Amino acid sequence: MKLRERFPHLLLWLAILGIAVFCPLPSHAYAGPGAGFAVLSSFWTLFVALLYSVYAFFVWPFRQLLRLLKKRKAYGHAQIKRAVILGFDGMDPELTERFIAEGRLPNLAKLREQGSFRKLRTTYPAISPVAWSTFMTGVNPGKHNIYDFLARDLSNYLPYLSSAEIKGPKRSLKIGKYTVPLGGARIKGMRKGTPFWHWLGEAGIFCSVIRVPVTFPPEKFAGVLLSGMCVPDLKGSQGTFCLCTTRASGDKFREGGIRVPVERDGSIFRSYVPGPEDPLKPGSGDELRVDFEIRPDTTGIQARIVADSQNFTLKIGEYSEWIPVKFKAGMGFGAHGICRFYLKELSPEVEVYVTPVNIDPGKPDLPISHPVTYSIYLAKLFGPYATLGLAEDTWALNEHVLDDDAFLAQCYANHDDRERMLFDALEKTQQGLCACVFDTTDRVQHMFWRYLDEDHPAARDVPHDQHPQVIQDLYARMDVLIGRVMKQIDDRTLLMIVSDHGFKSFARCVNLNAWLHQNGYLALKNGKTESGDWFEDVDWSRTRAYTMGLNGLYLNVKGREREGIIANGADTDALKDELRRKLDGLVDPASGRVGITGVFDCDAVYAGPYVDNAPDLLVGYGDGFRASWDSVMGKVTSKIFEDNLKAWSGDHCIDPRLVPGVLFCNRKIAEEKPAIVDVAPTMLKLFGLALPGHLDGKPWTVAAPEASS
Amino acid sequence: MVSLGFNLPALIVVGISVVIGLLMVVMFRYTSDQKAIHIAKDHLKAHLLALRLFQDQIPVVIRSYGRILRATGRYLRLAFMPLLFVSVPLILLLAQIDRYLGSTPFETGHPFLVSARVTGAEALGDATLELPAGLASTAPAVHVPAENEVVWRVVAERDGSFVVNVLTSAQTSAKQVVVGSGMPRLSAVRLRGPWWRRLLYSAEPALPESNLVQTIEVQYPARVIAFAGLEWNWIWLFFVLSLAAGFLFKSILGIEI
Repeated sequence: MKLRERFPHLLLWLAILGIAVFCPLPSHAYAGPGAGFAVLSSFWTLFVALLYSVYAFFVWPFRQLLRLLKKRKAYGHAQIKRAVILGFDGMDPELTERFIAEGRLPNLAKLREQGSFRKLRTTYPAISPVAWSTFMTGVNPGKHNIYDFLARDLSNYLPYLSSAEIKGPKRSLKIGKYTVPLGGARIKGMRKGTPFWHWLGEAGIFCSVIRVPVTFPPEKFAGVLLSGMCVPDLKGSQGTFCLCTTRASGDKFREGGIRVPVERDGSIFRSYVPGPEDPLKPGSGDELRVDFEIRPDTTGIQARIVADSQNFTLKIGEYSEWIPVKFKAGMGFGAHGICRFYLKELSPEVEVYVTPVNIDPGKPDLPISHPVTYSIYLAKLFGPYATLGLAEDTWALNEHVLDDDAFLAQCYANHDDRERMLFDALEKTQQGLCACVFDTTDRVQHMFWRYLDEDHPAARDVPHDQHPQVIQDLYARMDVLIGRVMKQIDDRTLLMIVSDHGFKSFARCVNLNAWLHQNGYLALKNGKTESGDWFEDVDWSRTRAYTMGLNGLYLNVKGREREGIIANGADTDALKDELRRKLDGLVDPASGRVGITGVFDCDAVYAGPYVDNAPDLLVGYGDGFRASWDSVMGKVTSKIFEDNLKAWSGDHCIDPRLVPGVLFCNRKIAEEKPAIVDVAPTMLKLFGLALPGHLDGKPWTVAAPEASS
Repeated sequence: MVSLGFNLPALIVVGISVVIGLLMVVMFRYTSDQKAIHIAKDHLKAHLLALRLFQDQIPVVIRSYGRILRATGRYLRLAFMPLLFVSVPLILLLAQIDRYLGSTPFETGHPFLVSARVTGAEALGDATLELPAGLASTAPAVHVPAENEVVWRVVAERDGSFVVNVLTSAQTSAKQVVVGSGMPRLSAVRLRGPWWRRLLYSAEPALPESNLVQTIEVQYPARVIAFAGLEWNWIWLFFVLSLAAGFLFKSILGIEI
């Protein structure tokens, strides 16, 4: 019995052995292509491994010699053997302290007690791509060129993604109605400055960097890196979900999603997943598609979905695994993606939500890691995972396509993948730097602040009994993760927990374009009282200032903007002063609270070669306020202040002084007011490297482990 | 022979390889844990990639080698498990095909050996060979007492299917001998014993269990098949072609092997 339990397939193996022993004809040694493949594959694997080990064995001394010759004495002056940086996007110091006091975060409490806990000053503005760019480069935005998610095109006042530019191939071949691309897409990173792991890598210190924002396109360095925030989906957007539905609706989603019809064919429902533009017909607007079928079963609570040769069953309210989809364009061209299906409804209507189609990490059509094999390695080790920069579909929740439960499930599925990657990186990086950023903290706080703040306008319809502790649970979960990491590190490892900014309620929207319009700084074309998105119907010949994005305010400068009217110099300075005076302290008449607590002149805040790309002024909204959804999209409305009724109920794109991040460390840090810009120089110092002169941050004084304990 | 640069046996092997390649791959699909095999293969590839990605981290490289070995073992275990289902019918099929493609009949004028294994020294001394017209003995019988075996050297004077008899005391044991060309069904041995041995080795009825003769055997020449400028044993050709067919069909059908 015991033997049988220990070897459940014993009988099978004995039978196979019997056949092998008693059938010694040569022909019997070969039992079909299955055995052939198995033997050949295994042999090939071992052969490759052996070959590589021989190569590595002989090459390793030369590599070490080369290092010495180049004076790359890694760790020669290092104070630490390893640094582990865990980034929790948006972890708020006030909430953290509150939850520590409530006994919810024992591991962070331990870190605070044994090491350090500080509020970490963030960047101007307190926006993730800006703050994380500063984190990695150790310089202010004037030197790394990232001021917001979006930047504006001076020739047409339209936005573009500030972090990366993706263009089609340089050359193509026209064959009839087709244009055959000759070469891959061209990707240009817009973030300047040098991440500190490049310096470490040059010194021979190995680095594993996982999902730090604004690392797309991945840059070459001596280590491994998986790109984070700003990686596009397969459509080239920052995330376009798809709602496949039989429900007729002329409404379009404001942003972030597409409605796709589901056609009934007997008992089968057919729809499709929209993909990227046909590469053979660039500019035509023709998109590639992957068809899929929904076959409800007789129970009415589940359906079989057949998509691109994949076949799986989903119950209502259930996600599929990541499903590989190939968008075929003909002539062998196509794109590999992955997406998840979520069955929303089968009766009376049929609705399926499909996540944005992520770049397949196992077959990346665009580079999303360095080296390119790193994303493949992770996909092989853990299975497919989200690669989209903003992988948690906040728009789908905002648009009521997903409910709270479905959104949370999506967030934590991505988070679990990230945890697996982190622990693999920890194991692989016994010496050097291991940095990993978790986005869940940011997304969940954005979308669930209404559960924390019962006076929030979006909290009116919230079933508070369903997720009463969602943010508390989020922090507790991160604390458990930190505890697991603490167990894996030794005394010579420095552990640092950082967040790029904190969080506040976003209850009231401020349409700054409306304010500019009503105060005579922005003009609309004759007869118009409101504009469309992206300044449609704005009369630029009479407009002196405008805003787009989250915090930037721009002057319409002559010779800079296409239709600029303000002369550079004294006029711009005067206008900036005037706007600062009028906007600073702007009061919301409905609540009597201050909606804007600071307006900052970018010439004073930034310094560096890219200051000219910065906005002219930065608007710091007060606690509870933020730029309105319309204002962000360059739209002028009639109301300046209005309630924020969306699920997106918490934010940080406000006065940076109100939303510092957190800094925890397992060692004592002397500085009382550290800033995120100091992280990079501190890391260089801890690893014993000289600091490049252009850094703006100052290294902290970090005590040795003995002193800390 | 056919006029396409191939001979008939080669064409038959090609056909059999394609059909069996397809059947086996499909059988493998339904008798294996496809998801587990997919994961096992992916893990193997991941650990191989780890060797390259973390090449300067010696402990990582060493651990990766260990994981490669473990993953290989897991993959082999998963891949061979379905072979129980696949190999039984395939072995039987291959044994039958081997009757036609494994050997060629004897040629006229070329001597060959007929050997009989008997029970007991007395029977060894008594054993004689009775040949039909068309076959002739070219040498006296050789007795090998250590093996209880008698060997006769025989030559064929014409093509045909003959029956030779081994006589011991009052018993007569017959064995078929084929002389000529083409691809007749050949049986190298007639034996007594369990049914599965006959199924695998012999194409003739069993000798009675009471018979003093245990086996009568002839050694047909191995068939050499010309294919792609090389000379092949049919099983090697089948190995290569069925692998190629399996690879093709697994890709088309999306089957994980």
